[in-house]
This record gives sequence, structure tokens and C-alpha cells, in this order.
Amino acid sequence: MTHFRKIAVIGGGTMGQGIAQVAATSGIEVVLVEISEERAQQVQRELGLQLDAQIAKWGLTKSEKRAILARVEVTADKEGFGPVDLAVEAVPERLAVKQQVFRDLERVLGPDVVKVTHTATLSVSEISQVLQHPERAIGMHFLPPVYRVPVVEVVRGLATSADTFATVTQWISVLGKTSVEVNEYPGYITTRGIVPMLNEAMHMVMEGVASAKDVDAALRLGFGLEMGPLGMADRIGLDQVLLWMESLFHELGELKYRPCPLLRKMVRAGHLGVKTGRGFFSYVSPVPGSPAVPA
Amino acid sequence: MIVVVLNCGSSTVKFQVFEMQGEHTLATGLVDRIGMAEATLSYAPAGKPAHRESPDVLDHGQAVEQILSILTDRHRDGVLEDRSQIGAIGHRVVHGGESFTESALITDRVLASIRECVDLAPLHNPPNLKGITACSRVLPGVPQVAVFDTAFHQTMPERSYLYALPYVLYKRHRIRRYGFHGTSHSYVYQRFLSVTGAGPKHGLRVVTCHLGNGCSVAAIQDGKVVDTSMGMTPLEGLVMGTRCGDLDPALILHVMGKEELTPAQATTLMNKHSGLYGLSGVSSDMREVLQEASSGNRMAALAVDVFCYRLRKYVGAYAAALGGLDGLVFTGGIGCNASHVRARACEGLEFLGLALDTTANDLAPGDVETRVSSSQIEAWVIPTNEELVIARDTARLVAPATAA
Repeated sequence: MTHFRKIAVIGGGTMGQGIAQVAATSGIEVVLVEISEERAQQVQRELGLQLDAQIAKWGLTKSEKRAILARVEVTADKEGFGPVDLAVEAVPERLAVKQQVFRDLERVLGPDVVKVTHTATLSVSEISQVLQHPERAIGMHFLPPVYRVPVVEVVRGLATSADTFATVTQWISVLGKTSVEVNEYPGYITTRGIVPMLNEAMHMVMEGVASAKDVDAALRLGFGLEMGPLGMADRIGLDQVLLWMESLFHELGELKYRPCPLLRKMVRAGHLGVKTGRGFFSYVSPVPGSPAVPA
Repeated sequence: MIVVVLNCGSSTVKFQVFEMQGEHTLATGLVDRIGMAEATLSYAPAGKPAHRESPDVLDHGQAVEQILSILTDRHRDGVLEDRSQIGAIGHRVVHGGESFTESALITDRVLASIRECVDLAPLHNPPNLKGITACSRVLPGVPQVAVFDTAFHQTMPERSYLYALPYVLYKRHRIRRYGFHGTSHSYVYQRFLSVTGAGPKHGLRVVTCHLGNGCSVAAIQDGKVVDTSMGMTPLEGLVMGTRCGDLDPALILHVMGKEELTPAQATTLMNKHSGLYGLSGVSSDMREVLQEASSGNRMAALAVDVFCYRLRKYVGAYAAALGGLDGLVFTGGIGCNASHVRARACEGLEFLGLALDTTANDLAPGDVETRVSSSQIEAWVIPTNEELVIARDTARLVAPATAA
């Protein structure tokens, strides 16, 4: 049994911040490593804002926020952290970047510490082939928002050892989440399962079967979903959805993953969903800087 | 006999050491932030200055080790020569379900029953169990006793503990009122008998109000709990520091829909963002809310109003349930120290025959048992001492075991 007292998270984007926050909430100390001092400061601010948004929804108290922030150290020092019980990389989904982070982690932390790559589309085996001890590497896929979605896909690479797998699933249970075991395969369960539904909803709009609003209402109410597929795509970001589809189409060659032309057109026009205020639906920020809500 | 009383939470272990002959407290303390990087051990030996240390404490077992080590370390004001002096350990256990109507000497069977109650108190019973397991490992052979928060209330009749839901839910999931703070209600009730010289007189009707961070009221007749305000969980009943108490159960589903809340968020909303804190926006601490109210903060004054009104409603309802009232007891931080709250809670209850002695009420020191009524119905401030009850029950239950 590993006791998780401190972990490192490399990359303070949406997922990195989410993972850091969930770990700190369970009492684990986190060092969150960013690329520059400037980014580190920005991530520190964003973490505070994220927690404030949860306080506004009564999910958290102010004293819990202080305790969580006190456990997260955001730094631009890529070498100086450690020792840690586990390291998670959550840098952008580019193979070379992730491989470099893994190389650095192995050099700084040594071979024993389990290294986790957070990826939805890349191959764990390919990322960890740069390691001397790929058996200590594993993949993991949280869904956003990390604090809210209770399931995590744990992805075994070709070389991942049973011990590494056990360590990571134990860590995920400490976070209060359910893990599912996935063998390395494009899209895992969640991405592969949701992409055809998003694509089909977009096709229905493009073909004039129904309005975006009615497609979402029918599927949401008909099947008891928390939100409709188009609203969901808007939240994920249409550029991200397009990336998933292209990747699955490319890897598996099945037509069902071929991106709907309407999606391509919207991404080219910069209608990326909630983050740009416009996607299949329109969004506004009630206060500048606050999260956008449906208009 | 030396008895160590432990109260194990998810990341804390509170402890108090008793010498049972004279019922003296030898030391108290707290291990905090177990399993986290910044664990602390606070230790207060009787009559000596308190200290604070920052040891490594990864789990409850290590917490118990740290406690034993400081208790037996002469250089750190340890109050024991040796751990073999410890005659027994008493544990506060939150939920005893329907299995325990009184404290129990811990055996494998008792342990299994406590485990069965985890479902009913998923946040509280697991750390209690960890504390028990840790002690059996670290102090093998030392008898342990479990004292349950729910046990005193087990005398409630069906008509008080059943909710008017489909009965099958009670059969299937044991959905019912259990009540909490039982150890405190039981202690102040016993003290009430002794200070009033009432004795267990036939038909004696007493309402006890435990007003601390959590608040609950119990209606007691002939020493048996007839009803209590906390329910299946400690959320029901009175307004508390951060808990809302009674609600229309339908409204939370409505709010969840309107505000797009998850069940976890709705739970925190009711448990941590409500009560005095949620209404006043000032604090969950009655002292601060009263302070703000007296300096003109309208919301603070309103929060106190809602708190006192709810309390009065319960006292009145329980007087009706008991068919009259002979005694009213206030305990807990608010119950002992907030004379204003006691006065407001009794306001308008003159029709029952209750008359507060306003001078005695204003002057009651809070840490001394004080009569605060001038009427035949005796109202008292009685400081609670749950640890002492746990220590006494522990000593009583292990005595025959040790003798054998």
C-alpha cells in the first residue's frame, strides 16, 4: 500500500488544475508545475476562482478553500520539487511534449515513482517508450469538471506493471472516484462512446431534421441525460470534439467517426462553444470573467 | 483505574485521560490532520502548560501510538509511568443503529454490529472503527468499550421514530429517527435529577436542550427518551451553526433543479452553508452572531430570531408530547453561555407554567450548574461532560471483565 502524501502534477491547464484540486481536497499535498513564473501565477489565480465558483454553488466552504489552496504549491521550478509519491503529467496532447515531460520526470524522480500520463487520445505505450522503466508508467483519463465527474479511466500501456496499476487505482479511490480499467485502444470507453452520439446529433441539425434546441431536448429528456449532446459538445469545445473525431477516424477508419461537415465549418468560423460564447447555442458571461451561461 | 477516552474522527483523534477513583482528568489532547502533511498533536496535562508538536501521523494507529508515547514520556509532561497502567479505553461511537441501547464492551460480535451501522453513518462510524482497531493492535489485551451517541434515544416509541414514509423503507433500509447527542442528553438529565433532588420520581417530564455546534432537544419521561429532534441524520430539527435543521423535504429537490446542484452540493448546502451562518452571513458562532446583532446587523438579529423561535417551538411541542413539563435543561456552548438565547427560547412559555428568573439567567456563569427559573418547572443550566460518561461506562463495563 502506498501512502499518498504528496504528488506532482505537471501542467496547470483545466485538467491539471482539476486533478490538483481534487487531490488537495482529499488531504494530499500537491506541487503543480507550470512552464513559466507568469503561468504559475495565473494558475494560482485560476485555482482560487475555480474554488470560488464552487463556493457560490455551496459545494465548498471558505475554510475548505483555504485548506485546499494551502496544500497546492504552484511553481515554475521543473526540477526542484519532490520527493513525491506519484507524478501526473497533464500537458497539452502532443506526443513529443508528453514524452519530454516523462523523460524529465524519470530523471528528476528516479525510476520507482509511478508516472501517469493524462491523455484522451495518445498512446500510453508510445509516450512511455522514452522511459527506461516503462513498467512504472500508466495512462489515466478524467472527465471535466474533474471535481464533479466521479469516474476515471485507467489505461494500461503495453509495459505497465500490475503493481503500477494497483498504485494508481488505489490513489483514485483515495480521491473518492471510481476507476474503470481500460486496455490501450483509441478513445477508450468514454470518448469512443460519446463521439458517435455527438456526431449524429450534428448530422441531424445539418440535415434539417430538427433544430439544435429540439435535438438536445429530445435526447436529454428522452434518455434522462444531464445535458443534450450539442450542449455537451459546446461545453467540451467544438475544436476538441473535432480533434477526437479526426483522431478516432484516423486510427480506426470507421465512417461513424468521420467529423460532420457542419462541425468543421463551425470550428473554421471560430464558433467553438461556451469558451467563445457561440457554438450550437449562444452563451454570455453575467459578469466579465465569470463562467458563461446559456444566453 | 486509568481510563483513556477516545473520539476518533476522519482526520482527528481527541483524547482525555481519567483517573477513575476521584474521576480526575489527568490530561486532554488532540491529534489533528491525520494522514496529511501538517499533522499536529496538542497536549494539555492537568495543571501544566499545553504543548503542540508536529509529528508524522499517517493513520489512526500512528495517532494512538503518538498519544501513548506522550502520555508516558516524563520529559514531555507525561502523566503515566507506563502504558500498562491503562486499565481500559472508551470510544465514542456515533451510530449504534438499533443494535445498541447502551454502551458495550467491545468483542468481535460488537465490532461486527458497529460495522453493520456504517451504512447509517458513512462519515462517522468508519473512523470510530479505525480507532478501535488501532487500539487493539497497539494495546492488545486492554479492554475497550463503545459508547454510542444514539443509544440513549433507543427507548423512543415507534410513533416517535417512524417517518410517515412507506413502511417498507424502514424494513429494507432502517430509515427511521435515531437521534444523536445521546450521551450528553443522558448526562445532563442525570445531573438534573441530582441537583433538583427529584430522583426518578414517577412521571417526571424533562426537556433537555443540547445547543452547541450541533443542536438537539430531547423529551424525557421517567428517564426514557420519548422524542428527540435529530433524525435519521444529525441534520434534522433545530437551527444549528451551519446546518438548516427542519425543512420541507420537497424544497431541496426544487432547489437542486433551479441551481443545477449535484447531490453532494445539496448536502453541503444544507450541512455547511446554512443555519446561523447561512442566514446571518456573519458566522456560525452564536457569540459572533449575537455581537453583530447587538450592533445593529439586521440579518444577524434575524438569524438569532429564527434560531430561538425554532427552539421554543420544539420545547412547546415536547411539553405537549410529555403532557406537561417539570424540568428544562440547557447545555452545550450556546445553552450554557448564551443567556439571551435561553431567555428568548422561554419567552411566551409562561402559559406552561414556566417562569425564567431573569437575574439568575443573566448571571449564570455557564460552567456551573445553575437554576435559572423561579417557577415550579425548574429550568437549569448544566454543563455537559460526555467524556466523563464514556469513562464511567467504560470503567463500569470492564470491572466484571477485569475481576474475572
